[in-house]
Amino acid sequence: MSDSSPNHDSPPPPSITGGVSEPTVANESDTNAKCQTALQSLSSIVTTATIPPTISLLLEDNAVSAAISSLLQLPDSGAGDNNLCRWLYDTFQSAEPPLQLLVLRFVPLIAGLYLSRVPLRQPQAGFEAVLLALYAHETTSRAGQAVTVNIPDLSHPSIYHESKGPAKNNSTCLNIAVISSTLDPHGTVRSTRRARIVGVALELYYGKISSMPRESKLNFCESCEKWAGQNGEREEQKPRALIPEEESVAVGGRSEKDSGRIPLPWELVQPILRILGHCCLMGMKGEEDREVSEAASKACQSLYLRSLHDINPKAILATGSLLRLREMALDPKNQIDHTEISSDNVLSV
Amino acid sequence: MLENQSKELSENREDEITRQLWANGLCMKTTEVEAKLDEGNIQEAESSLREGLSLNSEEARALLGRLEYQRGNLEGALRLFEGIDLQAAIQRLQASAPPPEKPVNKKNRPREPQQQPVVPQHAASLVLEAIYLKAKSLQKLGRTAEAARECKSVLDSVEKIFQQGISDAQVDTRLQETVSHAVELLPSLFKDSGDYQEAISAYRRALSSQWNLDNDSCARIQKDFAVFLLHSGVEASPPSLASQVEGSYTPRNNLEEAILLLMILIKKFNSGKAKWDPSVIEHLTFALSLCSQTSVLAKQLEEVMPGVFTRVERWNSLALCYSAAGQTSAAVNLLRKSLHKHEQPDDLVALLLAAKLCSEEPSLAAEGAGYAERGVKNAQGMDEHLKGVGLRMLGLCLGKQAKVPTSDFERSRLQSESLKALDGAIAFEHNNPDLIFELGVQYAEQRNLKAASRYSKEFIDATGGSVLKGWRFLALVLSAQQRFSEAEVVTDAALDETAKWDQGPLLRLKAKLKISQSNPTEAVETYRYLLALVQAQRKSFGPLRTISQMEEDKVNEFEVWHGLAYLYSSLSHWNDVEVCLKKAGELKQYSASMLHTEGKNKNPL
Repeated sequence: MSDSSPNHDSPPPPSITGGVSEPTVANESDTNAKCQTALQSLSSIVTTATIPPTISLLLEDNAVSAAISSLLQLPDSGAGDNNLCRWLYDTFQSAEPPLQLLVLRFVPLIAGLYLSRVPLRQPQAGFEAVLLALYAHETTSRAGQAVTVNIPDLSHPSIYHESKGPAKNNSTCLNIAVISSTLDPHGTVRSTRRARIVGVALELYYGKISSMPRESKLNFCESCEKWAGQNGEREEQKPRALIPEEESVAVGGRSEKDSGRIPLPWELVQPILRILGHCCLMGMKGEEDREVSEAASKACQSLYLRSLHDINPKAILATGSLLRLREMALDPKNQIDHTEISSDNVLSV
Repeated sequence: MLENQSKELSENREDEITRQLWANGLCMKTTEVEAKLDEGNIQEAESSLREGLSLNSEEARALLGRLEYQRGNLEGALRLFEGIDLQAAIQRLQASAPPPEKPVNKKNRPREPQQQPVVPQHAASLVLEAIYLKAKSLQKLGRTAEAARECKSVLDSVEKIFQQGISDAQVDTRLQETVSHAVELLPSLFKDSGDYQEAISAYRRALSSQWNLDNDSCARIQKDFAVFLLHSGVEASPPSLASQVEGSYTPRNNLEEAILLLMILIKKFNSGKAKWDPSVIEHLTFALSLCSQTSVLAKQLEEVMPGVFTRVERWNSLALCYSAAGQTSAAVNLLRKSLHKHEQPDDLVALLLAAKLCSEEPSLAAEGAGYAERGVKNAQGMDEHLKGVGLRMLGLCLGKQAKVPTSDFERSRLQSESLKALDGAIAFEHNNPDLIFELGVQYAEQRNLKAASRYSKEFIDATGGSVLKGWRFLALVLSAQQRFSEAEVVTDAALDETAKWDQGPLLRLKAKLKISQSNPTEAVETYRYLLALVQAQRKSFGPLRTISQMEEDKVNEFEVWHGLAYLYSSLSHWNDVEVCLKKAGELKQYSASMLHTEGKNKNPL
């Protein structure tokens, strides 16, 4: 019988550091010391590019990011003894916001590689350690509580509109929707909790999306396309009925091309959609932003086709609306500038 | 007021646009002035204007600036606007305005009608328009931060001059236009320059202060704000407490505020106060789907005025909403209407959705099979990739239909048809884990356990062991094959991979396996463990999960006590059986199986 449990060669459990909501008591020199240690240890790992002297320069340095990305994409980069994973883990645990931002920037790549390699049954303790660190951080800062949204009821007045309140009952029938369910602490990645742990990492990523560089967002969009799998995009269309229907092919074989396709439960899809919404619709000006927007739109299209294949109505609604919104935003009819003055040929005082 | 509203007399000769300047009842063609400006002779242009139209310096510069702006010479316009001192103008205006009125109090109604403060509108209008155009020029030159500053100063000045907000009667059209434009422009300038916090305050200021905006502007600003809140990724601090009223709804985070604004916009449209903007309902769809509140979305869709959507569109969207919310029968009813032969019977997505929904109910399964067949037929050309989906749905429906057979022959026929369809589907979608699972279940139901176990292992591999039902299915198939020890190994592996709260069904399975292997003591241990878990789940409200997670079946405490009672009775521990039955009885008074066990207890032979 097939052994499908991943290698639980577990890294030391992530220490529960103080939540980000508490003000960091560390003074300037402490922060600098931590940044310097991180930079120094990075220079021993990344040998193909020079590490800039300060964190802020590092955050914007494309060469170093590219070097780190290529290191991450090596075949066994997720192993437990991988230096880069160790560095990412330690850096995130340092609890310094700029350092954490640096690690978050690589979340799409890490999550993408991790999830795609799960069927290959490789031990990925390194990646798991980093993801667990992110998960633990969020668990602590939220104290495990769920994130909820109270859906408005227009019969109650609000700051933006007037209304005669509901006739007699004073009780506000609260309609609470759960955006992100409660978090139980996890010391290792159990396969049934894998999607949730990665989902939380993506939620953290979304929380800082406005500070993320373009490359990172492009990585994310590519990962999404891979995860959605091939679902009848026109270029790849082959009449698959021609494949001989032997049991072995149907049962054992899996298309090489479609190797990135993963199960997509709502715990993953929801944060993915929020990030894609941002990438698709924010910033349609400027060349760089448009590239991200294009990539996000392609990812959205893949997810839409995938949701049709799975007949998942919620995902169909959400991805469909994102695609239509992008179309509307690109339509020149909708790009009238309402703040322009009328250009009469008679100017008067 | 010195405005001259006479019709324009300009003639358009090919490229040349002749413009005219009017003021103080005098008119002047712009050709000369434009020539002077082109040469860079600002002083001369200004003086010729002052003489020609008897204007003062400020008015002349404002007019010239506007001329340059319209001609597209933004740098030139900026140079002209530099000369206008906004602060001085504001001070002059404030000095000449009467002191602000005391707020009207119901108790001391004034005996004569209120007189609005008469602010010299003309001067204000000119200066503010000039500064506004300065902001626009800066925007077009890409200097958004400076543009934002200028625009903000316009609004600050307006607030200073009209301290109680602008009401209808007070302001002339031109000034109102400038103010409305400025209010709408400011937040987008901050957004473009990347200053998100300022953008948020600008939006809030635009919406909560009294600017006398017309409906369309207000709607546009509300929509832009909602889109910003939804997609910017920047969490806005909740609106200030000062603006809250007792019993009113106050949003605490971006999503709440965005949904509120979008719902208000739809309501405005429905009552005719705003123009229909199709993006509003799309944004709301996105937001509510994210929150898994598609039933609220359905209500909103139902309230949209007729004529906006075609009826089939509306039915299909509503069906999607209701099916996402789990209201299957409502969804199926709607789809029946939209798939009627006189409506849109060939809509592929609707057919597939209908088939899927019908496959969950034995009574609807035959109908679902019909939809699935039509779906398979219609999956041509570009949609051919959905053929596999259609076949899968057909297989599921036929399999479900086989549960309400009238005869053995019928049942076996349906089952073999179902297998054929699923096999056909897998040729199209050989890496769809759900399909693999469903094939396995079909084989299991037909007692082809070898195939079933093969597919169940394949499912676990394909999903990396992340789906609980896969583990359970494999264990069940193995136990059906009487391979109890292997089934137990699988269950243990599954327990390793699940978090505590989800382990209930697995533990129950394990206990039963232990019983089957004649291992009663360990079975009792397992039951005890399960009991502790179930009781703990009952006491805490359990984790707050999204709806999909709550549907995972939990183990009933009653079942546990009953299982224990049965176990003890097989061990002949009659006292323990009594205790368990009592506990079970407390939870559920009338149960056939419990009474049966009780009977056996009384009569051990």
